[in-house]
Amino acid sequence: MQSEKIQKILFILPTCLFLLVISIFPFLYSVYLSLFQAKLTKMHKKFFIGWENYQVLLFEDDTFPTAIKNTFMIAFSSITIEIILGFIMAKIFFEIRHIKFSNALRTVTIMPIMLTPLCVGLVFLYILNPTLGIFSYILDTVFGIEPFAYLGEPIPAKISIIVINSWQWTPFMMILLLAGLMTVPNEQYEAAKIDGANWFHVMTKIEIPSILSFVLLGVVLRLIECIRLFDIIYITTKGGPGIATEVMAFFTYRTEFRSFQIGTGSASAVIILIISLIVTTIAVTLLRRVERNEGLN
Amino acid sequence: MLRKILLTFSLLIFPLNSLLAVNWEDELGDHSGYNLKVQSIMDPYIDAVKEISPQFEAVTGASVTVEGFGYDGLHEKQIVACSQNDGSYDVLFVDGIWIGEFVEADCIEPVEDIWTAEGTDQSIVAWDDYISSFAGQAIWDDKKQCLPFGGYWHMLHYRTDLFEAEGLDPPKTFDDVLAAAKLFKDNPKYPDLEGGYAMNMARGSAAGQQFYEWIYSAGGKPWESNYPGSPDAYADQRGLYNSPESVAFIEWMQEMINYMPPGVEQYAWDERAKAFTQGKVAMINNWSVRTPLFNDPEISKVKGKFGVALFPHAAGAESVPPVGGWIACVNKHSKNKEAAWDYLKWFASPEVHREWVLAGAPPSRHSAMNDPQINAEQPWTPVLYESSLRAWQELRPRHALTFELIETLGIEVNKALTGESSAQEAMDTANKKIDRLLKSEGYID
Repeated sequence: MQSEKIQKILFILPTCLFLLVISIFPFLYSVYLSLFQAKLTKMHKKFFIGWENYQVLLFEDDTFPTAIKNTFMIAFSSITIEIILGFIMAKIFFEIRHIKFSNALRTVTIMPIMLTPLCVGLVFLYILNPTLGIFSYILDTVFGIEPFAYLGEPIPAKISIIVINSWQWTPFMMILLLAGLMTVPNEQYEAAKIDGANWFHVMTKIEIPSILSFVLLGVVLRLIECIRLFDIIYITTKGGPGIATEVMAFFTYRTEFRSFQIGTGSASAVIILIISLIVTTIAVTLLRRVERNEGLN
Repeated sequence: MLRKILLTFSLLIFPLNSLLAVNWEDELGDHSGYNLKVQSIMDPYIDAVKEISPQFEAVTGASVTVEGFGYDGLHEKQIVACSQNDGSYDVLFVDGIWIGEFVEADCIEPVEDIWTAEGTDQSIVAWDDYISSFAGQAIWDDKKQCLPFGGYWHMLHYRTDLFEAEGLDPPKTFDDVLAAAKLFKDNPKYPDLEGGYAMNMARGSAAGQQFYEWIYSAGGKPWESNYPGSPDAYADQRGLYNSPESVAFIEWMQEMINYMPPGVEQYAWDERAKAFTQGKVAMINNWSVRTPLFNDPEISKVKGKFGVALFPHAAGAESVPPVGGWIACVNKHSKNKEAAWDYLKWFASPEVHREWVLAGAPPSRHSAMNDPQINAEQPWTPVLYESSLRAWQELRPRHALTFELIETLGIEVNKALTGESSAQEAMDTANKKIDRLLKSEGYID
């Protein structure tokens, strides 16, 4: 009995050590640093200041609260667009699934996910350039709209970021929802047809309830991704104009690696982690509840 | 007349023997087989560095690798590498305003210590030949930390063909600049122009530095004890970013933005220079390092069609041309500091500096500014020289918080320019944030 217990401990020990070194120690060290006034250029002179970094970040400076607000605004807007467009696209691919070349078409559609966000940012930076960009050119020649700085004005810049983010990730949502649609039993469609249900009834009474857990899974994954949003912001707006597109991850990078304020940067990293944990816990709880309900049904 | 005075002045203040040829074979050590690595900004002078470095290779046997990076990226890379005691690069080209931070982080070996220990012939260093507004950028804690080599000064660049067509003189005051910008914006006579003027307005360093570049000529000062000629610019650092002069300057920029090209809110150094090179704007203020590009027929549409003038000033104020530029430092963690120092003293010497300038780089020494061949090849040199003598070395803060401070300011300036806040609100916030930053590090009480 005793040896079995030791054996179990020995089995899980490598995993525990791995987690300790890779995850837990860096996290605890971040928490430790966040309680200090610490700069990378003079780490030997760091001194303890308690919760002051958190207090400044959350209550005295408007930049970080704005970054939190922007992150969630971009996340919710992007994910909403992605779900709507993703569902429409999934429906189309579901309907044409028996047609030749539909697989090839689907592969082409998911190409944006394969691109690195850095490249996506660069491509859109050129597209949205007010003097050289194709978007300005089309608006100017077709609609006579004077070119302006889409990434240089606060509201257009926010919209642009949402559009870029949605453009890249809608195919991901589409794949997920298409997988969900594939799981709907054919009998349900046939029964609905016999009962004379129209497309709207099919969508709201059969398809959406059936794919709800897929939607929630997509939302959880995308939410985590959006909380870490960095590359597109770094390439296109650098958080500007002003702080209109400043997001949490970019703020942390800026504080840590441009100002080298390790204490403040660590505090913002800890806050991001806490926010991520809360959001993920809520989302996973919801997901489980939906799955349980589906199971009951 | 002015040129004669300047020439006489310069001949008096730097030793003539600084121009005498140095026997580099005797002066430099043998570094055969060593690959000396130089880390530089990707500014236009980098090609000239690569062009002349083979001369050093021929004398010392070392091979020289020069690698260029963008402005923010270079700063990030250098500080992070320094924190890891990284000696991958032997010579660091550092922006003069970063000096306080680099000294604080113990990244550089002070050149004054090296030349004292080595007993270097001071005619090779020829410190007095440096223009003082720029040479001061290499001094911190009362010690010469690095060798200045790439001094930049701001000049107003304007299109001579357009100004002649309109019968205008080069602008001298802010009002002149505004009137000319207004005239050229959306003028059907000049369909290629997208704006009358272009400035650095992008969030962060670009907009933050723009503020410092203009504030003295706007009749203001960034903090209490920092003004041209101040005996101790850092004595009282309480901010004046929301002074009436500062706010009036931001309001002037807000008006100017109407006469700039679309997208100027995202302009930084390259975009500003490109707009002028491509003939899209009638005027820009620009660092002298990019002036030769405007005369390069391969990339410029304005070759022979532009002139330079002193930096403009507000009514009742004087022109205080901005000064900046790059200093060469020995990496404290370099594996071969002797080779690094040899490269520095060779590269920054008056003799090699002249060759470097003739290869297309900006002149930074009195001797180069008065060199007939340089004046012939870079005809804007007299105005540049006058600008350099009028400049104030403490234009921007040079202490360890400079990068963060400029970025903080740049965010608020950009907010005012994009309409996110009023000029007064933006500058009040900037002042508050900068004061808090300075207090946190003990620069002010």
